[in-house]
Amino acid sequence: MKKFFKNEAVQTFLASILCILAGLLIGYIVLLIINPQGAGESIQNIVKNFFTWKRPQQQIKQLGNTLAKTMPLIMCSLSILFAYKVGLFNIGTAGQYVAGACASLYAALAWHWGWLPCMLLAMIAAALLGAVTGFLKAYCNVNEVISGIMLNWISLYTANTILSNVKETASPYTLYLNKENPSSMLPTMGLENLFNGNGNVTIALPLAILAAILVWVILSKTRFGYELKATGNNKNAAKYAGMAQNRNIILTLMISGALAGLGASLLYQTGYMRWECTQSSVPAMGFNGIAAAFLGGLHPLGAVFSSFFIQHITDGGQYVNTNFYSSQISDVISSVIIYLCGFVLFIKLTMKRVIARSEDKKGAKQ
Amino acid sequence: MLLLIQYTLIFASVLLLVALGGCISEHSGIINLGLEGIMVVGALGGALVMRSLGTTSAVVMVLAAMIAAALAGMLYSCLLGVAAIHFKADQTLIGTAMNLLATAAATVLVKAMNTAANPDNHSSEIEYVAARKMFIVNINGFEFNWFMIVAVIAVITVYFLLYKNRFGLRLMACGEHPQAADSVGINVYKMRWCGVLISGLLGGLGGLCYILAGVSLWKFENGVAGFGFLALAVMIFGQWKPTRIAIAALLFGLFRALSNTYTGFPFLVSLNLPGNVYNMMPYIVCLIVLAFTSKASHAPKAEGIPYDKGSR
Amino acid sequence: MNKERQSEYAIEMLNITKRFPGIIANDNITLQLRHGEIHALLGENGAGKSTLMSVLFGLYQAEEGIIKKDGKEVKINDPNDANALGIGMVHQHFKLVECFTVLDNIILGDEPVGKAGILKKSEARKKILALSEKYGLQVDPDAVISDITVGMQQRTEILKMLYRDNEILIFDEPTAVLTPQEIEELMQIMRNLAAEGKSILFISHKLAEIMAVADRCTVLRKGKYIGTVETKNTTMEELSAMMVGRNVNFHVDKQPAHTGDVVLDVQHMTVASKVHNNNAVKDVSFQVRRGEIVCIAGIDGNGQTELVYGLTGLEPLVDGKIIMDGKDITKSSIRKRSTAGMSHIPEDRHKHGLVLDYSLEYNMILQTYFESRFTDRIGFLRRKNIRQYSDKLIEQYDVRSGQGSVTPARSMSGGNQQKAIIAREIDKQPELLVAVQPTRGLDVGAIEYIHKQLVAQRDAGKAVLLISLELDEVMDVPDRILVMYEGEIVGELDPKKTTQEELGLYMAGAKRDEVRKA
Repeated sequence: MKKFFKNEAVQTFLASILCILAGLLIGYIVLLIINPQGAGESIQNIVKNFFTWKRPQQQIKQLGNTLAKTMPLIMCSLSILFAYKVGLFNIGTAGQYVAGACASLYAALAWHWGWLPCMLLAMIAAALLGAVTGFLKAYCNVNEVISGIMLNWISLYTANTILSNVKETASPYTLYLNKENPSSMLPTMGLENLFNGNGNVTIALPLAILAAILVWVILSKTRFGYELKATGNNKNAAKYAGMAQNRNIILTLMISGALAGLGASLLYQTGYMRWECTQSSVPAMGFNGIAAAFLGGLHPLGAVFSSFFIQHITDGGQYVNTNFYSSQISDVISSVIIYLCGFVLFIKLTMKRVIARSEDKKGAKQ
Repeated sequence: MLLLIQYTLIFASVLLLVALGGCISEHSGIINLGLEGIMVVGALGGALVMRSLGTTSAVVMVLAAMIAAALAGMLYSCLLGVAAIHFKADQTLIGTAMNLLATAAATVLVKAMNTAANPDNHSSEIEYVAARKMFIVNINGFEFNWFMIVAVIAVITVYFLLYKNRFGLRLMACGEHPQAADSVGINVYKMRWCGVLISGLLGGLGGLCYILAGVSLWKFENGVAGFGFLALAVMIFGQWKPTRIAIAALLFGLFRALSNTYTGFPFLVSLNLPGNVYNMMPYIVCLIVLAFTSKASHAPKAEGIPYDKGSR
Repeated sequence: MNKERQSEYAIEMLNITKRFPGIIANDNITLQLRHGEIHALLGENGAGKSTLMSVLFGLYQAEEGIIKKDGKEVKINDPNDANALGIGMVHQHFKLVECFTVLDNIILGDEPVGKAGILKKSEARKKILALSEKYGLQVDPDAVISDITVGMQQRTEILKMLYRDNEILIFDEPTAVLTPQEIEELMQIMRNLAAEGKSILFISHKLAEIMAVADRCTVLRKGKYIGTVETKNTTMEELSAMMVGRNVNFHVDKQPAHTGDVVLDVQHMTVASKVHNNNAVKDVSFQVRRGEIVCIAGIDGNGQTELVYGLTGLEPLVDGKIIMDGKDITKSSIRKRSTAGMSHIPEDRHKHGLVLDYSLEYNMILQTYFESRFTDRIGFLRRKNIRQYSDKLIEQYDVRSGQGSVTPARSMSGGNQQKAIIAREIDKQPELLVAVQPTRGLDVGAIEYIHKQLVAQRDAGKAVLLISLELDEVMDVPDRILVMYEGEIVGELDPKKTTQEELGLYMAGAKRDEVRKA
């Protein structure tokens, strides 16, 4: 039993659970403050998400929708954690995601490309954007957080401008993929049958999970991963060992960007969402990726589960009682969780101390 | 042209206040990436007071709203203080969380209040049009805003505080070499708290100033559009020195103002650029400026490094 | 003033015992400092000197024993208590804010202020000038710390104590960073201070300095109190025996060198400084041949670090050429130099030498991980080979760690961390081994071991470049000595023919071979 709690992974898992519970509790308190009447029911609905529906068929269909949005979130959190392993806080994931969305939608709607080329273009566009941040970091010593934020806004306005060419005349939204160019939609490969005909579930599902496994393999089994983690842990030692630091920084942010770009393509090419060309804030997906990455203990496979959870409660937000509350309560909960993730180190340290103390006591008794 | 100057000055005031906040915090050794969130909360505090006061004299309104914004900002900055000073949390992560939380929480609260007042109202706006007018003195078409004065006072005060005062000497020692400060009996934790709280105060004021700068009512779900980060860029460009920050703020303010006023310049209109280009302008300028000024960094040496009394 | 004093002693630490898990750092130690005396505290690294001082400053609480000031028992819970009792310390690593002026550093924490906290610097300036006058401490109050010499920085630290009217002044290894002239000046300052009634505790492991300046000396060894002696009644040999417990033979056994071809040829190397605008290394030329150990000696901060950075590729050269095995490597990357046969035992093992969060085995392959024996063609690490290789090195170089290859490097002792680095660098089969202060902070056993390894490399026909600050090491290990002073090589000496005194003159810049200048 002791051994079990001493395990690093177990401690990370427990710390994450603690963050989640505390996040939900704070969310509940906020609801109580706003209006005690519907708070209990609403927080339950957030946690239940699709289970709020009565019929199993409906539940499974809604689960499909949550999954469809989980996949881009997995990609964004992979993007964040990949860069974080090298010591870079890639808040520009959000902008790289926008670049990916812009590239894939424009290629699909303006040039009528097939789904795979669109996807690849999204990854390339996002990777290039990542490269800009990387270049500024490596050669000009620009803090990646600030340049990332600036590029987020630049890519948002650029995407709005470019995608205005392929939008519906009557609305600010881009054209429907399924009407304009069905070949650009991700194939479902029969997956929709598992989710009561929900066509939003596509090969994005296996692709994202595959990507997570790939990231895990790269980080833990390869020479490249060895170099990246060495750089993240001690960049002086990495330099001393002759690792090409600047190249690694740029390469890392390019891969990180490509992951985010792929994420955008995995969402927008399902046709589930369309781009709103007048939107004045960067989509939250990239930022939620931070929550998922840290909640998942910065482990690629942990990110899969934490992404699902974050998306689960984000979607759950729409089931709150809108007579009193707004759906953004889910954002409150997930940002509280991110905040609490800052304390994970401390929580783990405390756990270790408690274990050590109880062992001391045992030792004294013997 | 007058309009351009007016907008430049008001946006420069926002950037200046917030950048000074960031500057004080970094001099104490804490990187405050949560300024964006602090601005939102400050704006919320100010807006709530403006709404609840209803009709009152201009002086009371202006003072009350400013105090509320400052207090709200300080209160919110405690989230950073607790995590970064006492729990050695990753300051980047905490700052990011604060930014996300502020927008989300403000939206939830404002919507809840609006819905409570009128079940069909789901907007995230607070009505403060009348109060906004009290901040403004119209001089021959030039809308003078009291915040411009506040910004000037802030620069002078921060300059005085940092370079002529005991407080500043101790504060900067904590950001440069906390072990040295500790060895002469300065409480590093206390000084860092001061740094964080002052940045909360200035950030909160900056947030209120931001929502008053625009003509239309402000939607809380939009946050402050990266202004907190622009302010940090202003701070870096200003090399962590108040007077240079003031100049940098004017420059950035000018580019921000262009997006509001470019239609008034026939020359710019004739270029026939999409409006989004002007929207992007401050961010692009920021990137370019950072690319050229970050190489030789004047950042406080110990910033971002949690201080641990045990390890000396 | 003396009449008021009730005790002969300014400060007394009586029967202090301080334990850490698994070790007794201070075992029943007594230290009594008289008024107006210079009292040396002598001991090797790890003898318990710093722990004892930490107890005096309230950083640690002793489990047993008491502290008395002027005969009265006092409780010291944190450094502020110590300050209040008039105890001040010049730390080995100065506690100065680099971008502040001397004046600002001195008044920090004890500023003269008027209304609303406005600084009154002119008052402080007057007091500081008066103090520097009185004790012979020449410092410009308005100079910025990063612009002044180490000696002046140290004087700033002393002024900090005097400004606070401290009566008990502690100097922690104050001479390590100074030139012989500066050391002489410091000794004079200490004598002046003692003459004015200040009580001085002088922590050192340099016997000559203790004999020159101290009245009495307390010796610690491995956490235990060995004794207190009057310096005028003792000899260096006796002190040395007290300090190490046996008459250690620092001499390194080695056969005469059989030198071969030139391996390293450095021509007119110039390297910029990170600290100031001048070059840290100026027009330096030298050669290292097979089968010899060449040592670069000098006081810390005379360009040795930058020389190594330039040599190993961590910093670019401003000017000059580096030729290794006949090939110009001036512009080569760090990796290219490494694969061409250069090994580098770095000065700072935590900054450069190790990735502390990696396991021992991953640190063992830090320089070779990309080779085909550790990485396959696709780019996957060959974990089995890595484990085998690491186990082999651990065995061969006697690297001790809790869990063998999988031990996190962070949890290993300094000596074993250094052994791991040495194993890694030597096992690379280098043509040229650059060893920078390889024995810094290690105990006598580890030092002997490392010296043997260096000599073994030499005897195997490798070229060895040793950079050292320790005089004993400089005199015993190498076959040739090059002395560096202010970024230049000012002399070449034969360790068999020269003396420590002559070496000292070169290190201080008092003597130089004119041939070198050309």
